[in-house]
Amino acid sequence: MYSYVLKRLLSAVLVLFGASLLVYVLVINSGDPLLELRESNAENADFLIQQRIEFMNLDEPWYSRYWIWLSGVLGCAVGSCDLGTNINGQDVGAMVATSASSTLRLVFLATLLSIIIGILTGIVTAIRQYSSLDYAVSFIVFLFFSLPVFWAAVLAKDWMGITYNNWLREPQFSWTQILIVAGIAAILVPLIVGGSARRRLLTGAAMFCFVLVAMPVLEALNYAREPQLGPAVITAIGIALAFGLTALLSGLKNRRVLYCALIVVGLGLVSYYATFWLLIEPPGGWLSIVGLFLVAIAVAVIVGRTFGGHAKGQAVAVSVLTAVLYSVLVLLDHFMRAWPGFLGLKPRPIATIGSSSPNFSGDFWQVSLDQGTQLLLPTTILMLVSVATYTRYTRSSMLEAVNQDYIRTARAKGVNERTVIFKHAFRNSMIPVTTIVAFDFAGLIGGSVVVEQVFGWTGMGDMFVTGLGNADPAPVMAFTLITGAAAVLFNLIADLMYAVLDPRIRV
Amino acid sequence: MKLRKLSAATAILATGALVLSGCTPDGGNDDADGEETTNGASSGDAGMAEGQQFTTEPEDTGKADTDLETKDDEISVSLGETEFISYNGFTPESYSTYNSVVVNRVLEGFGYWGTDNVWYRNEDFGSYEVTSEDPFTVEYTIGEDVTWSDGTPVTVADYVLDWAYQNAELTNSDAEPLFNGISQTYGERVPEGPQGDPEGKTFTIEYTEPYADWEIMVNNALPAHVVAEQSDMELSELVTAIRDADTEALEPAAEFWNEGWFTDPGTLPEEELMPVTGPYKIDNWQAGESLTVSANEEYWGTGPGTERLVYRFVNDGQHVQALENGDLNVALPQATVDTRGQLERLQDQVVLHEGEAATWEHLDFNFNDGAFSDSLEMREAFAMCVPRQQIVSNLIEPVNPEATVLNARESLSFEDDYEDIVAESYDGTYDEVDVEGAREILEAEDAVGTEVRIGYSGPNPRRTDTVAEIKASCDEAGFEITDAGSEDFFAPGGALETGDYEVALFAWAGSGQVVSGQNIYATDRPQNYGGYSNETVDDLFNQLATTEDEQEQQELIVGIEQELWGDLFGIPLYVHPQLSGSDITISNVRDTASQDQIVWNAEQWQRAE
Repeated sequence: MYSYVLKRLLSAVLVLFGASLLVYVLVINSGDPLLELRESNAENADFLIQQRIEFMNLDEPWYSRYWIWLSGVLGCAVGSCDLGTNINGQDVGAMVATSASSTLRLVFLATLLSIIIGILTGIVTAIRQYSSLDYAVSFIVFLFFSLPVFWAAVLAKDWMGITYNNWLREPQFSWTQILIVAGIAAILVPLIVGGSARRRLLTGAAMFCFVLVAMPVLEALNYAREPQLGPAVITAIGIALAFGLTALLSGLKNRRVLYCALIVVGLGLVSYYATFWLLIEPPGGWLSIVGLFLVAIAVAVIVGRTFGGHAKGQAVAVSVLTAVLYSVLVLLDHFMRAWPGFLGLKPRPIATIGSSSPNFSGDFWQVSLDQGTQLLLPTTILMLVSVATYTRYTRSSMLEAVNQDYIRTARAKGVNERTVIFKHAFRNSMIPVTTIVAFDFAGLIGGSVVVEQVFGWTGMGDMFVTGLGNADPAPVMAFTLITGAAAVLFNLIADLMYAVLDPRIRV
Repeated sequence: MKLRKLSAATAILATGALVLSGCTPDGGNDDADGEETTNGASSGDAGMAEGQQFTTEPEDTGKADTDLETKDDEISVSLGETEFISYNGFTPESYSTYNSVVVNRVLEGFGYWGTDNVWYRNEDFGSYEVTSEDPFTVEYTIGEDVTWSDGTPVTVADYVLDWAYQNAELTNSDAEPLFNGISQTYGERVPEGPQGDPEGKTFTIEYTEPYADWEIMVNNALPAHVVAEQSDMELSELVTAIRDADTEALEPAAEFWNEGWFTDPGTLPEEELMPVTGPYKIDNWQAGESLTVSANEEYWGTGPGTERLVYRFVNDGQHVQALENGDLNVALPQATVDTRGQLERLQDQVVLHEGEAATWEHLDFNFNDGAFSDSLEMREAFAMCVPRQQIVSNLIEPVNPEATVLNARESLSFEDDYEDIVAESYDGTYDEVDVEGAREILEAEDAVGTEVRIGYSGPNPRRTDTVAEIKASCDEAGFEITDAGSEDFFAPGGALETGDYEVALFAWAGSGQVVSGQNIYATDRPQNYGGYSNETVDDLFNQLATTEDEQEQQELIVGIEQELWGDLFGIPLYVHPQLSGSDITISNVRDTASQDQIVWNAEQWQRAE
């Protein structure tokens, strides 16, 4: 095992070296760093060209330029990294630090959400193969997958950004809008819920009426500008979650699990009041929120283990999920409380550019809302585009697993359907999906060139493109080095995970 | 069956998507035809905008005399995605228009470029006058109340340092210049540097010979007192060391000057290291996102109209939507037909400024080699068949309806003296396409079927279209035009260097200097890529470089233009169009052709109540 890892790491170094050499030579031959100066009419243009040649060592042969760069990078081994400077003399190491953090903020959430949503829809569509839901999901997912990102982003800015902001000044629904939304809900929800034709018809009609009532009510409450949940609504949703999760994961007959989930909801309500004033101005910002979140999970685990009885495992799982979702609701409640004040500071909340509003100052919730609203559009776009891969991968590997002999055996011996799907089929179908998840996380750091550009974020992708445009090797090499290292590393992790997940593979 | 249903549904939805995409905000310039009449802009103003409000109407192409109270407000502007670099924008690495747009707001100087790229004096900051013609001497006086924001008065010492960094004579032990300055002209032309009491407000500079661009030689300076303090010297010691060329003593000062103001993106030097003389001070820098300058409370003049000005680094393709959403208030999107249509659609929200940049497109012949190198007749034949008016009508007018064919090189169509220069140097020979005439020449020269490779740096759709227009016309005359656009046209080893072209198509970005053309048209100069040589032109440029009288300068330029037209150095085509948009509520926004870009008068911007 260790020798395997060591061998892989050594070969990784060689791969990176080869890649860096190749990319370096390609980059310095990809364009002319003096281009803008050659077309400049300034009297000192010639002097500037000389200066730049000297600064970028353009008069040196490629191997000596590469060596200058490599010797700086090799300094990393002794703790003094020097990734060089870009064409403007800025330190690339510092550029990487800011670019990488901006890229991670942009892409992490989108990737995480698309993995979760993709895997969930993948499982559902596989279970109900060839249903109208399956077709609808496949169609939508492929439609999003094939959208050109820059075009979708421009549309999203127009509809979700500019139009929404205009609407938000005086949020009102016209009857046409209400009827359209009700119609869509009446078609979509039965499609997802499924069942007999009669049941679908009923669900559809119920949804239609619900929307018809809900939208005017929300409008009357001025919900778009002053949204609120309040402890009553949160608790109601919490109880529904407790029942739903229990039904999904262990069956309502398993009373102990249900009680555990309900206890967690009760404790949640207590903690809602207990932490209310603390959370108005959370000390340490996200730190204390993450801390409280961890406490909630710990409490849920304790509840599950104490009262779970013979179904401890399931009780813990259901309790933790309930606690997590309940915490999210509480968080949402606090954000909603801050929303009217936030609108006062930023009347057009959805911006089309940037990762935060310049010179924005407000309390913790307002600043977080600012960052969140800036993230909304790019995250949505990235998610829509990448959710397809996960859905399709999960669906096909799930289908493959469901048709295996051991599933038939499990069913034959009377294991209930829930256990068959979650325990036998789902687990095994996750093995190939792990690989693409690992790859995607490796790709994270590379950022998304198009989305960064369209939304005005300066991340890794932007650094790469700008560097390449100037035939400026240092930023491009930093990009190559980091994305290359991430790819190699996550590849290795994927291989190791494979061995852990799949008992047939041993290294 | 199921499959068929599905594919039918797909087809319907895909059609729907196509229809939707047709409705996306784009082009739509067909509805703009004819209704665009521009007025309200003074003559010679490069940027024109209907609906722009002014607190004071500008009288000329310089800044209007406004009197504004600073309003606690914020205006966002973007000129593109290129990031700010440093407070010290005077090194070769940090010097760029994107850096200067910030630096010129915080460091004020003796003058500025007007909207038609003409130099204006900044009488508030100080004054200058020629006190002697031989030797050519200029006396500068800094305004009595002009101080740095830390309270230190701006004195001659600052301008001594300003000269020092442009002086290549101050070298280190390796015989390299101590200061990594942007230019060395100042040191070459004024070997003694500014003379005067370092603590005083008046200094004189003495040129070795008269210099045409003397007015822009001295402008804004960096704070000498900060440099002195950071290198553990007294200010007087620094000045003495510079004047005595005591390079050893100067080394720490030079080191600070070269490096002290350079920080990682997103972090700024300590505030006391970057005092300002202008209406704004650098306040906040978010790497890759924005740079905020805020009003300088200690400003010696009238404060800016708006408290905070935010430069956002956004790709110009995103500017229109950002303007519509209010994320940007002033923006400089790509000058395309599509952009124009989009901005016009927003006319109740955004003012469209249309104008011209100081960048001009031209066709240059290769004099080293090829069909045109030694035959004026062939060059004439080519010039006769190039459809200049058609190129402008088809490619430029949709963006800038006011565009005209450019008929000069050393003066651009928005400049004051353009008409006079053209009237005296160009007789209109190549206004109309004369395919017949061109064919006759080619036949007489027995050169029908001559291949003409038009090289340019591609991919560039507009230039590809230009070559296509030329091909359509000149092939008829008997040339055989080849589109030789390639990515490495300008690069070392590219066609321009190897000489594998007959005609080069590219643009010069004008600097506003009088003598910058010398590098292009005089024999063996670095930017004379085609290898053109004409003794008269060389001689006229030598005279021009040492003439400081504007009338004489114009006469010499006419002479140069006459020669260049006579020899057909090349064929000027058009001035690049420029589009900008500003929020309709903001007053005093004026576009400019100069490199200072639309923020040139940002301190006068203010949101109307």
